[in-house]
Amino acid sequence: MLDFERGEKIFFSFNGQEIEAYPTETIAAALHAAGVSKLGESPELHRPRGLFCAIGNCSSCFMVVDGKPNMRVCVINVKPGMCVEEQKGKGELNY
Amino acid sequence: MKTIEILVIGGGPAGLCAAISAASLGAKVLIVERDEIPGGQLVKQTHKFFGSEKQYAGDRGIHIGQMLVENAQNDPNIEIWHASTVLSIYEDGVVTVEHEEKHTKVKPEKIIVATGAAENFLGFPGNDMPGVYGAGAVQTLMNVAGVMPAKRVLMIGAGNIGLIVAYQLKQAGVEVAAVIRRSPVIDGYLVHASKIQRAAIPILTRHTILHAYGDGKVEGAVIVKVGEDKKPIPGQEIDIKCDAICLAVGLSPLTELCWQAGCKMAYISELSGHVPIVDDNLETTVKGIYCAGDVSGVEEASSAMVEGRLAGVSAALSLGYGKGAAIGLQKEAQKELRQLRDGPMGNHIRKGLAKMEHNRL
Ligand SMILES: Cc1cc2nc3c(=O)[nH]c(=O)nc-3n(C[C@H](O)[C@H](O)[C@H](O)COP(=O)(O)OP(=O)(O)OC[C@H]3O[C@@H](n4cnc5c(N)ncnc54)[C@H](O)[C@@H]3O)c2cc1C
Repeated sequence: MLDFERGEKIFFSFNGQEIEAYPTETIAAALHAAGVSKLGESPELHRPRGLFCAIGNCSSCFMVVDGKPNMRVCVINVKPGMCVEEQKGKGELNY
Repeated sequence: MKTIEILVIGGGPAGLCAAISAASLGAKVLIVERDEIPGGQLVKQTHKFFGSEKQYAGDRGIHIGQMLVENAQNDPNIEIWHASTVLSIYEDGVVTVEHEEKHTKVKPEKIIVATGAAENFLGFPGNDMPGVYGAGAVQTLMNVAGVMPAKRVLMIGAGNIGLIVAYQLKQAGVEVAAVIRRSPVIDGYLVHASKIQRAAIPILTRHTILHAYGDGKVEGAVIVKVGEDKKPIPGQEIDIKCDAICLAVGLSPLTELCWQAGCKMAYISELSGHVPIVDDNLETTVKGIYCAGDVSGVEEASSAMVEGRLAGVSAALSLGYGKGAAIGLQKEAQKELRQLRDGPMGNHIRKGLAKMEHNRL
C-alpha cells in the first residue's frame, strides 16, 4: 500500500513533556500519533479544540509554538527541540 | 518588494498546472503555497482516478501530485514559496504574503488564483469537540502522515469523498461504524459505494446526526432516521459509539481573495457557492486576475488540472509569450474541459457553467 519515508526520529516538547516525532510530520500529526487530540481551548467558553481541516484554513488548531500564539499546527512541520503548548484564549504577542 | 510576471496563489493541481504551462511558454512564475508541501488535495488521494488518459486516469492522485510537484520544482522559470500564505490583493495590484515569518509584498503583472476549496461544517451540538474532522483532514493524517486518526469512525456524507475516505479508513484498519446520509440516495459513484458494501460497512440513507457527546473529546454520537420532510422521526434514534466523526458534506470555494480584489461574484449552487465570474479563458472581471480549479467551482482534480493549464497559457499569452502556439493550446484545453464535463455526471457542472455565462452579461 503506502510507504512512508519518515526520516530520523526527533524530539519536541508539548506542554513541557517530551514527544517523539519525525521531521516529515506536521505538529498536528505528531501530536495525534502521540495520542494528543486536544490542541487548545476556545477563548470564551474554554471548550477543548482539536484538528478539523488540516489545510491551514479553519483556525481550530491554533497553538503556541516557540512562544508564538495562533500558529496553524496542521501546516507546520515539527523541528527538533520545538516547544509546543496548548493555546488558551486568544494569545498575546510578546514582541 | 518582489516583482514577478505571474503569481500563482495555491500549489494544488490547478496552481501547479497553471505554473508549468505558463513557464513552458517562457513566463517567470512564482507559486505561493501555504502548506509545507505543495500538491493540494491531490497528495492525499491514494485511490485511482477517473477521467481520460490525458488527465492521468488510472493513476493514483498521490502520484499525479508528486509528478506535478517535481515538474514545477525542476522548472527554472518557476519559483515556489511553501509554508507561505497570501493575505491580500490590493487595488494597486500589490499582493501581501506571510513568507518566512515576515509580511512580504509581491507585485505581479498577472495573478492566477488557485486556492481550491474548504470543507463544509455541519451544525450539531458537540461539533466543536476534538474528534470531529473534515474528511480531507482524516485523509491527510492517514495518507500523508501515516497516523491513524481513530479506532472507530462515523462518516457523515455518502458522496464520493465520504465513500472513498470510509473505504481507506477500513483498509488502514480503522473500524467504520456507518456511513450516514440524510437524503434517500447515495450520490457517490457506484464503484465506490459497492466497495463499501463489500467491506460490510453499513450505509444508512435517510439518517442524520443529532449530537455528538464525550468528555473533552468525541466518545459517540446519536443519529436519527429522518422522514420524507427530512425531519427526525422521534423514537428512531441510534446511539453510535465512536472516537471520531468525519464530515464529508461538501466543499465551498475559497474565494476571499477574489472578493477582496473586487472580482464580480455570483452564487451558483451547482458550483458549490459564491464563485468569481470568469470568461472562456478563465479571466475574472478584474483584468489580469485569472482563476482555476475548485475556487471557481468545486469539481474534480482532472478538470482543475486542465483549467490550470488554460489559465496559465492565457496569462502567459497576455504577457506576449507563446504567440502562435498559445491560441491552439487554449482551444485544446477548452475542448478537454467540454469532454470531461460531458455525460450525466457532468450535468450539474454544465448547469452551473450556464448560469455563470448568464452572469457574464
Ligand atoms: C477526499 C477527496 C477525494 C477526491 N477524489 C477525487 C477523484 O477521485 N478524482 C478527481 O478528479 N478529483 C477528486 N477530488 C477533488 C480534487 O482533489 C480537487 O478537485 C482538486 O484537488 C482541486 O484542485 P485545486 O488546485 O483547485 O485545489 P486544491 O487541491 O484544494 O489546492 C489549493 C491549494 O491552495 C493553497 N492555498 C489556499 N489558500 C491559499 C493562500 N491564501 N495562500 C497560499 N496558498 C493557499 C492550499 O493550501 C492548497 O494547497 C477529491 C477531493 C477530496 C477532498
